[in-house]
Amino acid sequence: MKSVEKLVFEFEMQKLQKQTRRHFLMDCVAKMGGLAMAPLLLGCDPSAQSASKKGLNLSNRDLNPLSPIAPPLTSKAKSVIYLHMAGSPSQLELFDFKPELVKNHNQPCPESLLEGRKFAFIRGVPNLLGPQANFAQHGQSGSWISDFLPHFSKVADEVSFLKAVHTDQFNHGPAQLFMQTGSARLGRPSLGSWVTYGLGTENQNLPGFVVLTSGGKTPDAGKSVWGSGFLPSVYQGVQCRSKGDPVLFLEDPAGMSRDLKKNLIEAINTVNQEEFKTYGDPEILARINQYEMAYRMQIEVPEVMNINDEPAHIQELYGTEPGVESFANNCLLARKLVEKGVRFVQLYDWGWDTHGTDHDGSIDMGLRNKCTQIDRPMSALLLDLKQRGLLEETLVVWGGEFGRTPMQENREGKTMGFLGRDHHVDAFTMWMAGGGIKPGVSHGKTDDFGFKGIEGQVSVHDIHATILHLMGFDHEQFTYDFQGRPFRLTDVEGELIREILA
Amino acid sequence: MLGFILPLLGRLHPLLVHLPIGILIFGMMLVFWPKKPPTSFNPVIRLAFLIGGVSSILAGISGVIQYQFEGFAWDTVQNHLIAGFLTAIGSFYLFSQIKDSTLFSSKIKIQIAVLFLVLTVTGHLGGNISRGDTYLIEVLPAEIQVWTGQKIEPQKPLEIPEQDWEELAFYDDVIQPILNQNCKSCHNPKNLKGALNLTSFEDLQKGGENGAVIQAGNPQLSVLYAHMTLPLEDEDHMPPREKRQPAKEEIELIHAWITSGAAQNTTLAQAGINKKLVEPFFHKEEIPFYPLTEVPMPSLDTLAKLQKAGFFAEQIQQGSPWLKISCINLPGFADQDWKNLNSLKTQIAYLDLSGTQVTDQILESIATLPHLTVLKLNQTSIGGTQLQALQACKNLKLLYLNATLVDLAKLSSLNQHPSLQKVFAFQTPAGESPNKMKFSFELETGNYSLPKIPTDTLVY
Repeated sequence: MKSVEKLVFEFEMQKLQKQTRRHFLMDCVAKMGGLAMAPLLLGCDPSAQSASKKGLNLSNRDLNPLSPIAPPLTSKAKSVIYLHMAGSPSQLELFDFKPELVKNHNQPCPESLLEGRKFAFIRGVPNLLGPQANFAQHGQSGSWISDFLPHFSKVADEVSFLKAVHTDQFNHGPAQLFMQTGSARLGRPSLGSWVTYGLGTENQNLPGFVVLTSGGKTPDAGKSVWGSGFLPSVYQGVQCRSKGDPVLFLEDPAGMSRDLKKNLIEAINTVNQEEFKTYGDPEILARINQYEMAYRMQIEVPEVMNINDEPAHIQELYGTEPGVESFANNCLLARKLVEKGVRFVQLYDWGWDTHGTDHDGSIDMGLRNKCTQIDRPMSALLLDLKQRGLLEETLVVWGGEFGRTPMQENREGKTMGFLGRDHHVDAFTMWMAGGGIKPGVSHGKTDDFGFKGIEGQVSVHDIHATILHLMGFDHEQFTYDFQGRPFRLTDVEGELIREILA
Repeated sequence: MLGFILPLLGRLHPLLVHLPIGILIFGMMLVFWPKKPPTSFNPVIRLAFLIGGVSSILAGISGVIQYQFEGFAWDTVQNHLIAGFLTAIGSFYLFSQIKDSTLFSSKIKIQIAVLFLVLTVTGHLGGNISRGDTYLIEVLPAEIQVWTGQKIEPQKPLEIPEQDWEELAFYDDVIQPILNQNCKSCHNPKNLKGALNLTSFEDLQKGGENGAVIQAGNPQLSVLYAHMTLPLEDEDHMPPREKRQPAKEEIELIHAWITSGAAQNTTLAQAGINKKLVEPFFHKEEIPFYPLTEVPMPSLDTLAKLQKAGFFAEQIQQGSPWLKISCINLPGFADQDWKNLNSLKTQIAYLDLSGTQVTDQILESIATLPHLTVLKLNQTSIGGTQLQALQACKNLKLLYLNATLVDLAKLSSLNQHPSLQKVFAFQTPAGESPNKMKFSFELETGNYSLPKIPTDTLVY
């Protein structure tokens, strides 16, 4: 080693020896502080869209996040009404007719189907359960519909069936999340939030994404099924109460006139304007906008949420029951909302989880009663949309979160008092109608027992891709940046179901 | 080590060529428009032709070098080279002819004009080589293109017949059309970018400057496929990011073809292709809903003004000129407010005036919208006396007249409308009338009911 290098080496060694533990810790603190400072400094970047008094580059969207945007591609539907049957109805009693299952009623299920499979409640070898309904073909399209849905059979030609939908979640919560947000885990935005984020809403006096529930309970997955996930929370579904005031506290309190309220809001907004002039924070403008929207909603919401003004023949068509919580009322409301320019109306009807544990949960009785509750309203909804020409630009989707087994449930290996079916992920039926859907198609086929799709299988992602396509999005391009990467509703999957597109 | 020098010199050709063009034209301008006493600029003019000639030679040398290194075909550069050579000769000749005292006779002026012509031809031919010989014509309106004798060959997207698609030759009927549409413009015998020619199976097998582009059975190792699937921002992504990008389905077919062995003579069935892969290419008679006419984009200012005034005003689709105008947030709209919409007449394709204060008078204004496709007049006091005015809207397809006062007699004035498909007249005198009339369009009067049945009230 050359002498100079030797000297330098010695100097470095000495320096290191003098470096004590305290020096090290101090260095750490200083550098950690620096690290923490970096994003703060970035936040001050005037070119970024954040707060800065001059150079404020705010779009209409920043001030009013629900303002409308043109869809990136041709759209066939401008609104969606999604009827979700929470708990999951049995496709084998409604749409998927399996004569083989009739013949094999009460026979033990073939082992080959059960190999390596896990069910939510079924244990051991269950018996096959023949359909408990009578099927017939209806309409020009010859769609199979059972006598559980006598009214719906008459509108068979309006809808397109997906007979071989599959999912990968056999518990209600995760399966509902998957069906509505594209992921079985929490934290993703729901379909309605994506659509509202992407298109905004036409009526500036109403929320863009409305949720209505019936059946006595809200979905098992909780409000996350209409949550906005990582999207700004303004895009989450607004749940309107099905009984009493649809939205609480919209009525002016006793003694408070509308003029007084207007003065109040104007005063608050003036103060906020001053605040904005001082600090230039765009959040303040957003807040001003929200006050104004709330004020406008006060007029329009009570009016549109009031079904009593509808003529008697419409009430009769839907079979509404004013004053109580019912699926029929919600269907009528859904039509009114879509007519008023609401982008996404999500209906949840609870009570379809027919395990056969009791009377209400039995395939032959409880399910029949549930069907009676939805049969007329959902058929009426289709007819009403049709006669107003709304079906041309409204997409109606119907389905549960999964299907039900061709086998009778034998909870804990015991025979049960009522006929029931367990959760089933391999194959179930959904239908779509309206904007951009080819009516009268039956896509997909299941095997002889209705256990598994053998033709035209579609996944939950495929359904999402198709809905987004009809709304004018390419599901692969429609992304939102979060945690350092772009997120999609369909993640890395999803293919258009071309067979049902008009 | 210094091997890059020559290719670099070659690439300087597009830069060098501008020297003779600029300098020679400068000299010519001084000849034709001297302004000062006739001979006062002669030394400058001489100098211009000298430098012009020298720089022509330099440009020529760099051009030959570029031809050597960049894989241009001889017959494409031949004329360009000759014209360039003539330019240089002409420049030196004129340099020798012009003396300080020369008065420019018409003879010498003609010679200079000829040189100008040769120079222009050289430049144009050069441009054709680098930009393609339709570069200037492409931007012209279609009618003028035909007039220039240019055959307009629309880039035909791949189309597969639905019948007997299994029997199609995978390469000739599927892969080659995809390559033609997406790659051919830069990879053909005349324009051999990367020394790659993609116009036939044999040429494809030859590969490009870095060897084979196909590795039968392995798409990931096949350069052709790999470059198409690189991220768009990647420098090696093909086709280059500013060019039209192939559809996802097209790339999938290339993937399937390479996986199946990249053979020339297999049919789709032999390659075991799933119908799903080819389905997107089946021929579909798709008539677009909105008119095909080309109209200017609406001005954003006018749109913003309308939005400010409370209208819902948006494009039907991003990048489309067609507008959707709705008064959903503006129930006070009345006949006299029409003037707001006048400047967007050509672009309005969807007009929703439901629930507004308009009267029959508005139909005359609406009739001035040439491209109107959807018209909604629900819940208005329209009685229908002016409905025949809508015969002027030659693109109208859907007409909504729910909850208005129209009756069948008034609707019959729309009979034989050239494009009208459906009229909605729910909750109108037309819907309540017991008579039925047959129209050229479908009339939807609704009033559906679901008769009560015993099971409605049956509870199990």
